[in-house]
Amino acid sequence: MMRPASYVVRVNLTTGMVERTRVEDEALDRFLGGSGVGWRLVADALRPGVDPLSPENVICINPGVLVGTLTPGTPKTTIITKFPTDASEDGKHFIGACTAGGRYLGLALKRAGCHHLLITGKAKRPSLLRIRDDEIEVVDASEYWGRGIEEVMIDLVEREGPETGTIVIGTSGEHLVRHAMTIVDRGNSLGRGGLGAVMGSKNLKAIAVNGTGGVEVADPDPFLAASERMRESIMSWPRREHWIDLGLAAGWSTFKHTQYPGIWPKDRWDELYGEATRTETVENVIACNSCILGCRLRWKTKGGEFDGEVGYGSPFSKSATTGMLLGIEDFRKVIHFVADANSRTGIDFYTTTRLIDFVTKMYEQGRLTASQTGGLALTRDYETYWKLYEMIVARKGFGDVLADGWMRLKREFGLDPQDYWYAGICKGVDFIYDARPSNFHPLMMTFTTRPRPHHGGSHTRTNSRNRTLEEIRDQVERWGLPEETVDRIFTESDYSGKFNVGRYTRYMEDMMRVKNAIGLCTIYTYQGLLFGNDIAELYSAATGHRMTALDMIQCGERIHNVAKVLNVREGFRRADDAIPEVWFRPMESPEGRIEMQDYYQTKTLSKCDTDHILDDYYVERGWDVRTGTPTAERLNRLHLGSLASEGAA
Amino acid sequence: MSHEDHTLPGTLVIRAEHCRGCRSCQLACSFAKTGTFNPARSMIVMERHLADGRAAPMIKPIGCDLCGGDPVCANACKYGAITYEAGPSDVKVAIR
Repeated sequence: MMRPASYVVRVNLTTGMVERTRVEDEALDRFLGGSGVGWRLVADALRPGVDPLSPENVICINPGVLVGTLTPGTPKTTIITKFPTDASEDGKHFIGACTAGGRYLGLALKRAGCHHLLITGKAKRPSLLRIRDDEIEVVDASEYWGRGIEEVMIDLVEREGPETGTIVIGTSGEHLVRHAMTIVDRGNSLGRGGLGAVMGSKNLKAIAVNGTGGVEVADPDPFLAASERMRESIMSWPRREHWIDLGLAAGWSTFKHTQYPGIWPKDRWDELYGEATRTETVENVIACNSCILGCRLRWKTKGGEFDGEVGYGSPFSKSATTGMLLGIEDFRKVIHFVADANSRTGIDFYTTTRLIDFVTKMYEQGRLTASQTGGLALTRDYETYWKLYEMIVARKGFGDVLADGWMRLKREFGLDPQDYWYAGICKGVDFIYDARPSNFHPLMMTFTTRPRPHHGGSHTRTNSRNRTLEEIRDQVERWGLPEETVDRIFTESDYSGKFNVGRYTRYMEDMMRVKNAIGLCTIYTYQGLLFGNDIAELYSAATGHRMTALDMIQCGERIHNVAKVLNVREGFRRADDAIPEVWFRPMESPEGRIEMQDYYQTKTLSKCDTDHILDDYYVERGWDVRTGTPTAERLNRLHLGSLASEGAA
Repeated sequence: MSHEDHTLPGTLVIRAEHCRGCRSCQLACSFAKTGTFNPARSMIVMERHLADGRAAPMIKPIGCDLCGGDPVCANACKYGAITYEAGPSDVKVAIR
């Protein structure tokens, strides 16, 4: 059967020019489609060294190959851009991908024939990119400028129709806050790194998409048979009922140990932010398109000053850690914070609250003074936090400094981000997890080795502690990895125990590239419900291009190398992948001393240990260990020779 | 609802409060009917409630043939929002 056609739609916001071209089969063969091809497009379209907030930056929007088909859990759209977060003191910016599900956006893009939407330039005035099949226009959106995400989304859907998929920025994106995010449809975010500011810099308030076409697969009968078999298999997951009942509110019993910030005793945290607060607040669980494990939440606050407030997304984990860090006992207040960031200002809640926590402590310690904060006394109370938040969103006074993130604090006031006490910072992005309570598992490592330090699509079984070696081995074997590779992953060492996190991480990243390219939500691999062989079977039937799991993971490797080379040509090297210093400092908590340990908690890891683990990662990648960059030999082997001159060691 | 003198092989039962909005029913229906995944060509309209984020499936009674007694929408729905009750019936769609 014929492979369904894919198209690139290029939109220049400066000129209004729109161009649609077909993606060649050769690119699909090598990069799978979706964000895989997207990375290749960005490699061609993005000149090295451009300011991420300039018209020359690109935004490349890629619904996954299987989005819009009846496949369990493939709603995802992956967006590639150069992010404005200052990643280093010398002004580097990473090129990365963020990914989000949603009920409408990815499907609408596919139905409109926008398999890759490549946006460049800058609109003359606040604008909306409106897509109605072939009718693609940059239209005036001055009336939306200054308004919150939620109300703009609702207005767009009322005007454009109920099938409309949306990406909208909030007021922080308009003000070019470097950690401004965007919201897809409702409750799905494109978060860390500042995509919202990139859109703001282009005067692009929103994208609204409608399409009337269908999504085709090459071999319908085998596709449907495989899809139904996998759906039935997922239905037999024993925890499904609990999962779809609580969605992302599930998991407190694990979370309270693995993401413990170490300030309050755990029983106090339980009381203030535990299971009861979640069940009390969740109203209903919302599924993304094609997902049978719906997890996004609609919540409603009961009692307190925010009684009746409704929000969308997943507020609980982030509010629990932030609540403890900022010392806010009423969980409703922190959830109000999350709701406002999601629905109005569109700012990254993690970075904002971590920055507030940091500068407040620095002020308490006298390392930051009122003369430096513009006279604002940084006291540890909710009202002051809220004031700072509003100042960041609007870039007012001292908020303007915080709107530029961690590196500006260092440049301007000598406050080192590595002094921050929870989770750690790499490439200018604060992590959401801390490797001390959660152990040094592979996801923690990808935060440092990935160009954009966040998990987007990376989850596998190994995110949870103490998965058995047999279970992890079964997973990698079902991705088709050769026996000698599997043996290397499970060769014992004195720095990583029986499970070599460094070597595994390479394949975990390659799997992530595959999942993002096809649009598969990472929950399915995290819970061990879908594996490489399943994905290859679905992909082969959908595209008519026969692939094994190993073929796919090799494409994933190719995609990852393209992403890496783009960052190497921006100046990123091994030193930028540094493990956060805080992970080596014991967490002194009311529960006792908590140190970063290896995956099976056999020893406390030292800098020397993690250096060995990083060495193994680069070796497994076939990259230069000293510089942490791809070698020409490896790029040639991946048939990426044209990139070798740009980013090889 | 439609009345056809007990000639139907069964009834589709809609429980909208169970719907999570995953749209699998629409995808399955359109694929069965047209060979492509296209919600607009399915026999199901998915209402989008902006006030509370919910979705609710509505079956178009004219056009839906219950897939001859094995409706793919009910098979695709994993949340219990669309189920199928087999047996002679004069009601194609029941809302409960």
